[in-house]
Amino acid sequence: MGGYGDVQMIDDDGLRMDGRKPGDVRPITIETGVVPVADGSCRMTWGTNEAIVAVYGPMEAHPRKIQRQDRAVLDVTYNMAPFSTTDRMRPGFNRRSREISKVTADALESVVLLELYPRSKIRISIEIVSAEAGTRCVGLTAASVALADAGIPMTDLVVSVASGKINDVVVCDLNKEEDNYGEADLPMGVLPNSGELVFLQMDGDLSPDEFKQAWDYNMDAAMEVHKLMVDALKGGEN
Amino acid sequence: MAAPLVPKLLRAHLSDLASNDARLDDRGQWDGRETKLEIGVLPRAEGSARVTMGNTIVLAGVKFQIMTPYPDRPNQGGLMCSCEVRSIAGRHWENGPPSPQSIELGRVVDRGIRESGCIDVDDLCIIPGEKAWQVILDLHAISDDGNLFDAFALAGIAALRNATIPAERFEIGEDTPLKVSKTPIMCSYHKVGGRFVYDASYREELGGDERIHITLGDDDHVHSLQKGLKGIFTADEFAEIMEHAKSRCSELRDMVNG
Repeated sequence: MGGYGDVQMIDDDGLRMDGRKPGDVRPITIETGVVPVADGSCRMTWGTNEAIVAVYGPMEAHPRKIQRQDRAVLDVTYNMAPFSTTDRMRPGFNRRSREISKVTADALESVVLLELYPRSKIRISIEIVSAEAGTRCVGLTAASVALADAGIPMTDLVVSVASGKINDVVVCDLNKEEDNYGEADLPMGVLPNSGELVFLQMDGDLSPDEFKQAWDYNMDAAMEVHKLMVDALKGGEN
Repeated sequence: MAAPLVPKLLRAHLSDLASNDARLDDRGQWDGRETKLEIGVLPRAEGSARVTMGNTIVLAGVKFQIMTPYPDRPNQGGLMCSCEVRSIAGRHWENGPPSPQSIELGRVVDRGIRESGCIDVDDLCIIPGEKAWQVILDLHAISDDGNLFDAFALAGIAALRNATIPAERFEIGEDTPLKVSKTPIMCSYHKVGGRFVYDASYREELGGDERIHITLGDDDHVHSLQKGLKGIFTADEFAEIMEHAKSRCSELRDMVNG
């Protein structure tokens, strides 16, 4: 959150720099079966974000100490490719990617029917090959599509969307410039069929009214994105 | 990568197929899989390519950094080639520190490109002794169904040929295309069922023995060779694959040069 309030990012008509209205999300495409050797996979582009997710398993969990007698474990890794950012990203784990891997696993464990596969492991590899802003949301959403593509039983898909604030205006789905200069960010993971949440983070500064607006934008956007996910899973590209 | 268990049945099957001049996927001994090259596929990279060879898919992205030239070479920039095969690419790949396999992959691809002299490092100098461009080629496997070597090498040279030096972003003049004077191409051969085949799939690699990688530049100049894994080969076998490499490299070179 840069919070440079003097950078004008919303014009007099209330439109954003890329022409979107405050509640609009960036263009999204979803494709399944993009990693032919995986059990399930998904490529999702969201603005100029691109995430590729592969799901392997359920398979043997090793080392054995990670096994759980009564359920499967999810092995989630979120990684940004070195060429995914403007300045090259050094390969390897960092604190940020570890945290995102963990909260993504926490969200997905809430929907996957883990108890059907005791002592096994389901591996979910999220690779961000192009990053704009909101990669954790794209990664989590694409991961739930890849799990469905792999035929892993789940109670619901997970749709993740973020809203934030720029120039004191609450907007949905911040792009790169908006994210750099934005004043708040509220990513959420929504279960579209029940409206329940499995993922929530926030940083910045929102008044109670602004928070309510950001929340509502996320809920509406999630329902919109959910339709695209279902279309992609029902048959090819949307 | 955990050492995969190779069932004797697979080796026996591959051996049977070889004796009947057949392969798992009905290809001939010297046939490659359908190869597709797409350019400019990564919006954040200064040059990029995606190569699809059958079910093997890789990405290559070029980034630039400012480096201080080495004291003994004050007029030269640098080229770095780094390769990552992460867990997305197949169930036999694990995350973590680079495995010997992926280090070998990166280094063999790097040598072919570097030794061909396709990038003139003198050209990358900005201020002698102070500032020069470092070209970083990152290779990223998406789906490994065998022969990552050739896929990486092809995507790598295609991404370099498509790269632009982002001088404006670093406030040192105008963006210019990266000069790449040659097109080195790699061809890999695996000993499967007792004979060498071109462009092995993952199951052929799994049930096969040694492999040989050849990088040829323009005019068939040899720029890198590598023999990997346990196995013995004869001079005659090598001569035969070298002949095939010459014709196949020139086909792929035409694809890259468009």
